[in-house]
Amino acid sequence: MACEVKGRERVGVINPIFTCQPAGAQFMSIGIKDCIGIVHGGQGCVMFVRLIFSQHFKESFELASSSVHEEGAVFGAVKRVEEGIDVMLMRYPHVKVIPIITTCSTEVIGDDVDGLVNKLNEGLLKEKYPGREVHLVPIHAPSFVGSMISGYDSAVKDVVAYFAEKGEPTGKLNVFTGWVNPGDVTALKHLLAEMEIEANVLFEIESFDSPLMPEGQHVSHGETTVEDLKETGRAAASIALNRYEGGKAAKFLEKTFNIPATIGPTPIGIRNTDTFLQTLKTITGKPIPASLVKERGIAIDALTDLTHMFFAEKKVAIYGNPDLVIALAQFCIDLEMKPMLLLLGDDNSSYATDPRILELQANVDWDMEIVTNADFWEMEDRIKNKGLELDLILGHSKGRFTAIDNKIPMVRVGFPTYDRAGMFRHPVVGYAGAIWLAEQMANALFTDMEYKGEREWSLNVW
Amino acid sequence: MPYHEFEVSKCIPERKKHAVVKGPGETLTEALPAGYLNTIPGSVSERGCAYCGAKHVIGQPMKDVIHLSHGPVGCTYDTWQTKRYLSDNDNFQLKYTFASDMKEKHVVFGAEKMLKQNILEAFKAFPDIKRMSIYQTCASALIGDDINAVAQEVMEEMPEVDIFVCNSPGFRGPSQSGGHHTICIAWMKDKVGTVEPEITSDYVINYVGEYNIQGDQEVMQDFFKRMGIQILSTFTGNGSYDDLRGMHRAHLNVLECARSSEYLCNELRVKYGIPRLDIDGFGFGPLSDSLRTVGLFFGIEERAEEIIAEETARWKPELDWYRERLMGKKVCLWPGGSKLWHWAKVIQEEMGVKVVSVYTKFGHQGDMEKGIARADEDTLAIDDPNELETLEAMYKLKPDVIFTGKRPGEYAKKIRVPYLNAHGYHNGPYKGYEGWVRFARDIYNAIYSPVHQLALVDISKDEIATDKSFTTRRMLSDARLPEGVRNAPGLRQYTGKFDVMPGLRNKTKADYPYMQDKPTKLADAA
Amino acid sequence: MDENTKSDYAKQMLTYIMKHCLWQFHSRTWDRERQNREILTKTTELLCGLEETAVPEDRLDRCYWVDAVLLARNYRRLFPWLGELDNLEITELMQLVRERLDFQTITGSLNVELTDHQY
Repeated sequence: MACEVKGRERVGVINPIFTCQPAGAQFMSIGIKDCIGIVHGGQGCVMFVRLIFSQHFKESFELASSSVHEEGAVFGAVKRVEEGIDVMLMRYPHVKVIPIITTCSTEVIGDDVDGLVNKLNEGLLKEKYPGREVHLVPIHAPSFVGSMISGYDSAVKDVVAYFAEKGEPTGKLNVFTGWVNPGDVTALKHLLAEMEIEANVLFEIESFDSPLMPEGQHVSHGETTVEDLKETGRAAASIALNRYEGGKAAKFLEKTFNIPATIGPTPIGIRNTDTFLQTLKTITGKPIPASLVKERGIAIDALTDLTHMFFAEKKVAIYGNPDLVIALAQFCIDLEMKPMLLLLGDDNSSYATDPRILELQANVDWDMEIVTNADFWEMEDRIKNKGLELDLILGHSKGRFTAIDNKIPMVRVGFPTYDRAGMFRHPVVGYAGAIWLAEQMANALFTDMEYKGEREWSLNVW
Repeated sequence: MPYHEFEVSKCIPERKKHAVVKGPGETLTEALPAGYLNTIPGSVSERGCAYCGAKHVIGQPMKDVIHLSHGPVGCTYDTWQTKRYLSDNDNFQLKYTFASDMKEKHVVFGAEKMLKQNILEAFKAFPDIKRMSIYQTCASALIGDDINAVAQEVMEEMPEVDIFVCNSPGFRGPSQSGGHHTICIAWMKDKVGTVEPEITSDYVINYVGEYNIQGDQEVMQDFFKRMGIQILSTFTGNGSYDDLRGMHRAHLNVLECARSSEYLCNELRVKYGIPRLDIDGFGFGPLSDSLRTVGLFFGIEERAEEIIAEETARWKPELDWYRERLMGKKVCLWPGGSKLWHWAKVIQEEMGVKVVSVYTKFGHQGDMEKGIARADEDTLAIDDPNELETLEAMYKLKPDVIFTGKRPGEYAKKIRVPYLNAHGYHNGPYKGYEGWVRFARDIYNAIYSPVHQLALVDISKDEIATDKSFTTRRMLSDARLPEGVRNAPGLRQYTGKFDVMPGLRNKTKADYPYMQDKPTKLADAA
Repeated sequence: MDENTKSDYAKQMLTYIMKHCLWQFHSRTWDRERQNREILTKTTELLCGLEETAVPEDRLDRCYWVDAVLLARNYRRLFPWLGELDNLEITELMQLVRERLDFQTITGSLNVELTDHQY
């Protein structure tokens, strides 16, 4: 029995799992308060990303475009960024942070946004906006490198590198959450609070779930402030929960500010959450309180009702953000399920030597495939043409037709999850997340049993 | 002076010429916004790119085609499943999308060889599909890959396949509209006339500028088939690649969305002498007149009258039920390009809803001419709107509902304005007679939503009404209606099904007695 | 029919076209000239008594004709005063409508794309 890791053999992509880097950089920027990113490239690079964010969160987020048109593509378009920043500063008086996010087109034509930032800092900002706090942060995010994952990872590092300051230690713990949902941030903050750890959570996106109020205008935005970002340089330690989403920033702080960095774990499932708490204890010296023992107990109780009766031997395919996929696979294995296929959607060469992947390869006793640089066709082809049988799919909404057409129940996790209501409100991390995930999977399997008439009577007396 | 200056745009004075308020008695010669100009960077405009206009809007509805974008994955991912255009071959074009996955090394060394491999892989994965459209992106345009040459090479090696190449990178033009133009001209130049189609009727049309959003094309196709008209091709909703290669043999081009494809109709007229007939598929009146003109053209007007009579009898009592309850409600009609004029007048006439503002994301001055001509006085017309301006407009105009895109709908929601999706609809299709009633019903359900009423209450300040445990929509909508109207006999709420498509798709030959079976000789154009 | 009445009637007829028709809004001046001329000429003929059964053979001609038929019918339905005018008055009236339509959609139009040589 083998757990194989292989790369996609085809040259082309059929049904991509990820979008490109600028989306990741934009996801980082909406987490910052008083921040509007300007995407330097064609209008589609920002219009579509705003659309997918609005599909996932059912909210609109503010992002601008430098609107590169044909003559910009031929002669250079740095001027468009300059004009765009001026327009934004005039019309959005509260804006303090403007990430300038490049795209494939502007990287190919070689626009020097770093040079532009220097020029504007000396020129426009001093002349037209003296005394106004404005931070222009260049972020390079060409789409022909990596994916939205690496775009997010690089952007987090870029913005931390820009703002982090030395100074009076805060004693806080930098927590780089990775690409998570508001529900995850709530769950993480709860765990940190129970451990009485003061944390600088990057990014504060609980407010993405913004209310419909009787008065006023409440467009969604994040709550991480410039101060928070500056403070990262004065923290006691950093933890990046997702190796591939925030690891870069943590390592940067370690190298440049001597702030010890811990990478991982992604706290999905009981075991990873236990390890997360243990890691927090090790870093901060704080004990794990009895309240969390009880919380863990509630989760274990919920899982025990499901595992050997319903989850055992269930074959599952998982795709999406790499840390999410790996952690879900680990959790599923603890639940007695059998991950058969993991799809990691970009060509990051680190996957092959990721210790978590090596651990899977060393211990899994059934045929499991891990495909890197994968697209959805890797899953669909196996189902349609190569006899892969699955009981469950875990992944984001772009894969929905594979599940629908092959009548395989699917639980939406990751990004984006627009074809189900309210997924972003719920955690997949922590003990709360373990309960949510397990119960979502169980209910998906139960509905499927009823539609197919397979042992649906067994639920009468569960 | 009818130009409208937004408070939030005073600092960018060039915006002033992009908005007008139609004054009393004013005509288009006094009031017309500028249009299709370069976007102001940083304005947070609603516009998208030319790749979107070419591939996402026009190319991708073609149902029997592999749609391959030559570039990094993002463009492909972003335009995959993000429109509600159906196809009656189980939505192949909605489910499968293809990217050549350009990487850094390709940017440096070129990607033509890799593209060729992509093409072969795609055909191999879907051996039943023999047609492909390849779309250039910003990246492949900038590195100068000759996609046409690669396509030509493959077609020579695989004579059973045909490939269309569309060179419309995102930066080509100020908005999506540049892409529409590019793909129309390219299709005309490279593909029209390359297949001789089978003619099965004496009455042959191309249905142009219709994208089968939620089944619109299939609704209209049903009407045409009931008249015995052969739709030789639809450009491009539920459309077939090879049918569209035979466009030159139609007797008439029936054009809906002029914004996206009048270019093609104009070229077909010049080269093949095919007349262009602009129609409106929305609204009982305009649709009836449209069916009449098409019927008249072929001398089968009585068949159009049959359909008009039957449909009107079936659906007008329901349209009128909603009309009584929507009278005087205000809407901001804020779509992308054509619906501002398709809907501007008929919404008011047939549903009683007053259009207080129209805008266009990527339209040209021609769209504004049509929209402003049809709109009432005092209508605010905005070209290339941006977010702050639309918020200011909503606060000022206080619409009861807004028809716009999915994302701007989210911030309209935040200021307590219910929205309906003007691009992809809510519970459509909206074309046809039943469709128009479905639209009216959606508007009614949006405006009279009890949750919407609850949203306006500030429980910390306002008096909380504790006498009610629930409210029905009729309690809200009928409160001020006179008794005779409230219970008007003959009027009723929508009685159609949740999903309109099975009813259309399960029809058989028996439902279309005028459709001829055998190929007929093409009557040469006189 | 005095000048004021004629002007008022023409206004009503032009307003109808602008509110309900699309044929006058092709994208170039030469197309608009042709559309206006052909359709309004045929409408005039129909209002002056030409039978609807006189269907043009040439399909380009027929395409103008169908819009003219609908226009003439709607005019008759909406404007009872048409019935009281003689053919000469109708012709003059339609000439005024044509002049005004040409002005609004061509010579006085603010649409800068109309003169672009390419489609």
